[in-house]
Amino acid sequence: MTIAEFGLLNLWVSGLLLVLSVVVLSLIYLERKVLGRLQMRLGPMRVGPYGTLQTIADAIKLITKEDIQPEWADKRVYWVAPVLVFIPAFMVWIAIPFSSRVVVQDLDLGLFYVMAFLVLSIVGLVMAGWGSANKYAVIGGLRAAGQLVSYEIPVIMVVAGIAIFTQSLNLSYIVDQQSSVPFIIVLPLGLFLFFVAGLAELGRTPFDIYEAESEVVGGPFVEYSGAHWAVFFLAEYVSTFAIAALTALLFLGGWGWSASIQDWVGHPVGSEAIAFFEMFIKTYLVVLVIFWIRGTFPRFRIDQLMALGWKVMVPLSFVFVLLVAFATFYAWPWWVLSITNVLVLGIMGWYYYKRMHQDPAPFSIVLHSARKVRDAR
Amino acid sequence: MLGNLKGMLMTFLTSLRAPVTAQYPDARMPVEQRRMGFPMLLWDDNIVEPYCTGCMVCVRECPTQCMSATMKDNPKHAEGVSHRRKIIDVFEINIGRCILCGICVDVCNFDAIEMSYETELSTRTRNGRRMMLGELLERGSNWQEQSGWMPTSQRNQEAEE
Repeated sequence: MTIAEFGLLNLWVSGLLLVLSVVVLSLIYLERKVLGRLQMRLGPMRVGPYGTLQTIADAIKLITKEDIQPEWADKRVYWVAPVLVFIPAFMVWIAIPFSSRVVVQDLDLGLFYVMAFLVLSIVGLVMAGWGSANKYAVIGGLRAAGQLVSYEIPVIMVVAGIAIFTQSLNLSYIVDQQSSVPFIIVLPLGLFLFFVAGLAELGRTPFDIYEAESEVVGGPFVEYSGAHWAVFFLAEYVSTFAIAALTALLFLGGWGWSASIQDWVGHPVGSEAIAFFEMFIKTYLVVLVIFWIRGTFPRFRIDQLMALGWKVMVPLSFVFVLLVAFATFYAWPWWVLSITNVLVLGIMGWYYYKRMHQDPAPFSIVLHSARKVRDAR
Repeated sequence: MLGNLKGMLMTFLTSLRAPVTAQYPDARMPVEQRRMGFPMLLWDDNIVEPYCTGCMVCVRECPTQCMSATMKDNPKHAEGVSHRRKIIDVFEINIGRCILCGICVDVCNFDAIEMSYETELSTRTRNGRRMMLGELLERGSNWQEQSGWMPTSQRNQEAEE
């Protein structure tokens, strides 16, 4: 690597950090506004026009706050944990393309790399929980470990299915494969599994049991304050954006839908800009759906979460991989896959709808007379 | 699954409705008829005097002891204009202590005190807002105009008709 290449890479990475910070600020503002509207409130309105500077004010407040460390905390573990959560969340973005050229490094194993780094934040969460010397933090850290490990399987199986279907782990190539039919139509079951398990990976609302404010008061983050807490927060939103971008790339056709407009513009910079813009809009739409889900559903209990993970998501993800593997091996046309996907999804939905709405088993107490029991002997 | 989709649709439809909150100091929600602010004394327009006779019931029943009152002989009764033998002389409510419980209104036998729409009366000092008779009557008669209040006897009469 020459010095020029090294400098260019450095420029890319620092630019990425800057852009991601701005994106996180916008996401927090967007989330507060969307939640406000879903609850018939206005959301932030005070700082700046329509409250647009609210997140910046919050950031300044967090940075200037005192950084507290518990006396009994395991010092090294306590300070390393936020870094270990943030760095993987940031490194994921090196391989995520926003158009065929707007990417730091277009890796051939991009999808594999992204999945590998998304898991790493568990270590940081468990370390934060352990290092805080706080029982709620430990419970939160262990919950995070259990949740993230069990929901990792469906995510990886879906990604494996897509890799089998496209015969590639390169994200740009996967987007190109969707130029005729996006995978949301071919693999709706995969989209469902990936999105739900992705929400669980992020610990966003229906699955936010490890930072559940009303149960474990913030989980692993209880003892953190000021800038270190802000780093956790930043990492959470960066990975939310990453999952949204992956959903757009893997299932919504990335930047492929505007291909005709890109060809019509012709100019390389112009067409790249249009591709980037399309991808950007798709990602933000997925993020909006995530916020919408947050405004709708209550939190799972931990046993419900585990039941959903191991009894529904994991078996379904294996079914998904088998379907895709058969379809690819025997070269079935794509519509066979989409029909079978919808069928599996429909049967699953119908089964759980029935189970939810059937009457619970009648509960009865049988009283045994002590004398009768003795006589029977 | 189906229930989840129904829930999503429900929240989406909710988000299309107008917000029920307002940016408080800049914009205010409209005043509701049932709004309950600080208690104020009422003014009898027919005889041109307060309804309050200074009977001290509200003062005794007030859980925070925020009121004090003294009565005097009513000069208008001596002239034969008014049926009230005694009339209020000095009345004071310490607004900082009042908790807006409404007990004074419930116990009053003369329709003399009502919960008005006045709420924004806070000060920065502990006993910074003590309202004397004149201000209480002024704000009370304002409230009478705003809410279209009428005495109980008149209300009962109209209900019978």
